[in-house]
Amino acid sequence: MRDSLGKFVQRKEFEAASERLAAGKGDLTDPKQGITEAEAIEQAKQGREAAFEVLYHLHKRRVYSLCLRMVSNPAQAEDLAQEAFLQLFRKIATFRGESAFSTWLHRMTVNVVLMQLRKKGLPVVSLEETLAANDEAPKKEFGTKDVKLTGSIDRLQLQRAIDRLPPGYRTVFVLHDIEGFEHNEIAQIVGCSIGNSKSQLHKARLKLRDYLTFMRAEKAKTG
Amino acid sequence: MKCSDVERVLPELLDGAPDGAFPADFETHVKSCPACSNLVSDLKLISSEARQLAATEEPAPRVWLRIAAELRAEGLISDAAIREPESAPTRPILVPTSRRPRWSARWLAPVAAAVVAAGSYVVSHKPAPQVAKQQAPATRVASPIPETPAATSASAPTPAPRQMAQKPAKPTDTIRPAVEPESSEEDQQFLTAVSTRAPSMRTTYENQLKAVNADIRETQAYVDRNPGDTDARQHLMDAYEQKALLYQIALDRIQ
Ligand SMILES: [Zn+2]
Repeated sequence: MRDSLGKFVQRKEFEAASERLAAGKGDLTDPKQGITEAEAIEQAKQGREAAFEVLYHLHKRRVYSLCLRMVSNPAQAEDLAQEAFLQLFRKIATFRGESAFSTWLHRMTVNVVLMQLRKKGLPVVSLEETLAANDEAPKKEFGTKDVKLTGSIDRLQLQRAIDRLPPGYRTVFVLHDIEGFEHNEIAQIVGCSIGNSKSQLHKARLKLRDYLTFMRAEKAKTG
Repeated sequence: MKCSDVERVLPELLDGAPDGAFPADFETHVKSCPACSNLVSDLKLISSEARQLAATEEPAPRVWLRIAAELRAEGLISDAAIREPESAPTRPILVPTSRRPRWSARWLAPVAAAVVAAGSYVVSHKPAPQVAKQQAPATRVASPIPETPAATSASAPTPAPRQMAQKPAKPTDTIRPAVEPESSEEDQQFLTAVSTRAPSMRTTYENQLKAVNADIRETQAYVDRNPGDTDARQHLMDAYEQKALLYQIALDRIQ
């Protein structure tokens, strides 16, 4: 993703600032000072705008981050997050609390994103091993053998590495390692086998390791 | 077990086995083989670090504004109509489908236009954001020499200087306090209009206005420190458009 560094730094500053402001001003959307999620759900069923807004603010980061990881495009991620919330709010009257609200929302978000990827003809999960051979795999000489990431990974670098993953690998990696879905859930969501999900995940991590090692070597070279 | 065996069983083992519960021969090899040991610890590290990315990104305020507009258009938000029978629109609410302004009420249109214009003006005056932001209409119009004259003439319509001039002067400290600045005149005008026409919505709009003003302020501060950051400048312009959109949605809803 181009210019991601500038955006990232910028975003960090905005986040810090808005947290500071919200903390000092008693924002109505702050769950600590307002209504609980359960109350908000009930009130949203009555059509209360403030309740929808509370639910939105409670989950916006998680939903938007998920969308952004999956598509690596902020404008597209905004549209997808918007669509996910709208789908949820349209069905909120049917929510009976069998599963956690957040689980329901995240599942819905994943479906919205996958639908979009499919619409665009992007592989949701690469079923063919050939895909792995075709994509721009980093050269072996960047060393998986004797180089170690040594205990810490820069979050921004990890983000950039994830952005470089082919869509199929990225889907499984985001769902499993970032979002915490289990392989059986992923298999069900994306429509692949559990074994396939596991092998995609493993390959995604190997690729990320290569990317990260490469980035680190480049950084060392340029100072 | 050899290195190739480790690579073969790793996809299954890494997530399946709880820490330390690897088969003995696997453990033995990994302990004695630096390459495999590095591989296993790196993959675990990547996996655990990834978890930190789960909710790091903040969507722009416009995302909620669009959702709210859509919910109203679909009739899913009903309290505005119930609590404000005198101002409940009888026609369907027009939902902006693009971010292009579509002003339909006289009383707010000039204000909102000025918001956009002011944004264009401030953003386009690259070399002197401090001056551009901090007052004196004459100085503001005449003195900062724009680095990009074309962009300036295209993006700073005539009302901008006049509207900006109405804003109270602020201190020109380079380090700004992280406190809420006083509302601008157009904000007050806007909130007064909302109070008159739809008192129950005042708090909502006041909060949204605060949020977008905070965004503008923080972005401006960032741009001041990093004048060459085009992303930040774009974000600043977006923030002003955001504010204009807020006005627009409000006037669609309460006129
Ligand atoms: Zn080995």
